[in-house]
Amino acid sequence: MPIVQLENVRKAYENKVAVEGLSLAIEAGTMFGLLGPNGSGKTSSIRMMIGITLPDSGMVKLFDEPFQRKHLARVGYLPEERGLYKKMKVLDQIIFLGQLHGLDSATARRRALGWCERLEITEAIEKKTEELSKGMQQKIQFICALLHDPDLIIMDEPFSGLDPMNAELLLDNLVEQRRQGKAVLFSTHRMDQVEKLCDSIALIHQGRLVLSGNMREVKARYPQNRVQVEFEGDDAFLRHSSVAEVKNYGGHAEIKLRPENLDAQPLLAEAVRNGTRIRRFEVSAPTLEEIFIEKVRETKGQENA
Amino acid sequence: MRNIWLIAQREYMERIRTRSFAVMTVLIPALMIGSAFAYMAFVPSDQESAQITIVASLGMEQFGDDLRTELMQGRHPMGADLISPPAPNTRQELDTDLANKDLDGYLWIESPGQAGGRPVFQYVPQSKTDVTTKDAISVAIRAVLAREGLMHRGMSSAEAQALTQPVDLDTSQATRNDHNANAKASATVLFLLMYFVILLYGMNVARSIIEEKTSRIFEVMLATIRPEEMMAGKMIGVGSVGLTQVAIWLIAAITLAATSLASRLLHRNIHVPLSGTQVIFFVIFFLLGYMLYSSMAAALGAMTNSEQELQQLNMFMVMPLASCTVIFPFVLWHSDGVIARIFSLIPFTAPLIMYMRIALKAPPWYEVAGSMLLLCATIWAILWVASRIYRVGILMYGKKPNLAEILRWLKYS
Repeated sequence: MPIVQLENVRKAYENKVAVEGLSLAIEAGTMFGLLGPNGSGKTSSIRMMIGITLPDSGMVKLFDEPFQRKHLARVGYLPEERGLYKKMKVLDQIIFLGQLHGLDSATARRRALGWCERLEITEAIEKKTEELSKGMQQKIQFICALLHDPDLIIMDEPFSGLDPMNAELLLDNLVEQRRQGKAVLFSTHRMDQVEKLCDSIALIHQGRLVLSGNMREVKARYPQNRVQVEFEGDDAFLRHSSVAEVKNYGGHAEIKLRPENLDAQPLLAEAVRNGTRIRRFEVSAPTLEEIFIEKVRETKGQENA
Repeated sequence: MRNIWLIAQREYMERIRTRSFAVMTVLIPALMIGSAFAYMAFVPSDQESAQITIVASLGMEQFGDDLRTELMQGRHPMGADLISPPAPNTRQELDTDLANKDLDGYLWIESPGQAGGRPVFQYVPQSKTDVTTKDAISVAIRAVLAREGLMHRGMSSAEAQALTQPVDLDTSQATRNDHNANAKASATVLFLLMYFVILLYGMNVARSIIEEKTSRIFEVMLATIRPEEMMAGKMIGVGSVGLTQVAIWLIAAITLAATSLASRLLHRNIHVPLSGTQVIFFVIFFLLGYMLYSSMAAALGAMTNSEQELQQLNMFMVMPLASCTVIFPFVLWHSDGVIARIFSLIPFTAPLIMYMRIALKAPPWYEVAGSMLLLCATIWAILWVASRIYRVGILMYGKKPNLAEILRWLKYS
């Protein structure tokens, strides 16, 4: 049973189409990455999932039922634009938002204290929100989204502006949520993060779905045509006939092989023959970022044609 | 309902704990009491008896003497000296006295040119603004002239005296109807209180919406509750704070009056005539007025992105409210007058003006009912519009919407 299902959803604002013909499904116990550059319609799609705005056409289903407001009690949402009451004490704030999600104040308090401990911000609970650092505020917002133990967790750019330590901490907690069978959706424009995390992805560009599906399947669709090389000495091998594109950073090169010539072995042989010292030679599938850039170029090419 | 209650509760608790709430609660009555003290300090409680000199020219000695007696025993007794007949330098001397403020004024009486004519009176006051003394003198002159005329026609002195006795209008019964000056004063204070509190807390609603808009907390809130619930909760919460403040003031005022502490402080007999009906209607009209203006404020807040932008739109809220203070004197002057009746029906001025009319003199029940009905209908309509503007507006950041856009917002479901 998919937790979230969008069917051919369209949303247009006054002067532009934000989302067009978007369909996707998110299963329980998975992590779903909604990817796309800035302004591609990620936030608009998310807002329709939680009823902040309604689609012009198409269908939004939550928990296998057409969208109803009562579903929202089972959804936790971390918006892209962080928002907290600046003058309110941290603990009061978390409890208040928990109550709005249907918790009674005792439960909300107990859980809030537990979460604050887990995210290492116990010393901040008596402070006013405006006195805290941005990273701290983000953790509080994170707690607010998860306090009522939602079955669907939606996070719009959850890691932006966090230092690596704290990003890791939040990430671990999200992975734990997935292990407990929750559906986790997060949007980001940082594709490298998604690659190791997500079970499924949807790539959108200018409001349209460019690519979607299970992460492994998506990557399997692309041949192993990328080569990363670290070398010393002569770089003449980079001009080998099997190379389609190359980015040479001096000592480190990223190579894309020609589609009709996917064997990297001759390239390695050429380098060895030239006496270039090879420290690393890795053949891989394109990264999500590369796939994305390629896809966007394709669509642009079609538009221009 | 639970959500509205939660929002209202949060809004109330957060506001009531702020320092500015405590400061306002103390400061506003302090200012009011302060200005009352200042007023009393500037207006002397008893008219100090004035000191004047009567100068009667040749042939007017008798008249001058009568007038002097009249002035010294009249309703506003004053000291009066008589110079008769004047020496050549009398006027000069008197002018010097005036300049030295030894004298409040002098009255020069010239005999009439021909028999049977009126004497000529010239009064030179030290200060032109001293109307009380001037009036007292002219009353006294009239009395003496009348008496002289009556005696001239053969009436006895006692009879003439009795006829020209000043008449005292007995106003002691007026207190029974509560329409004395004190009642007007307390109604006025409550009028001003309602005006300030509606303005202040209406603005607070708008400001709090803008604050939430800039802090982007809306996104989180809207993921669980409806915009209508947010708006209702906010209005109720902020309004309750205003009501709490008014309640503190009223209770303090009544206690102060009941213990006659104020009287002792001001050395005056102060009696605060607050009837139960007056308080009840004050609360009713305060709530209605607050609902009207705070829903307007909610729409304004949702349309704007910053306090500066709000300032530009403020006049839509402040103008109708401020117009009440312009109409106020007419109501005070004639609470059943056409102006008072018209404006107590217009919803935007009704809360303040109708309250004022009720406080001064009970208007016919159908006018009160009609005014409340119109007010409720208008509140409903404005709430309808405001909640639609609110729903769309709070998610709009950046540029300020124009009128066409706002009208389009109303059509969104």
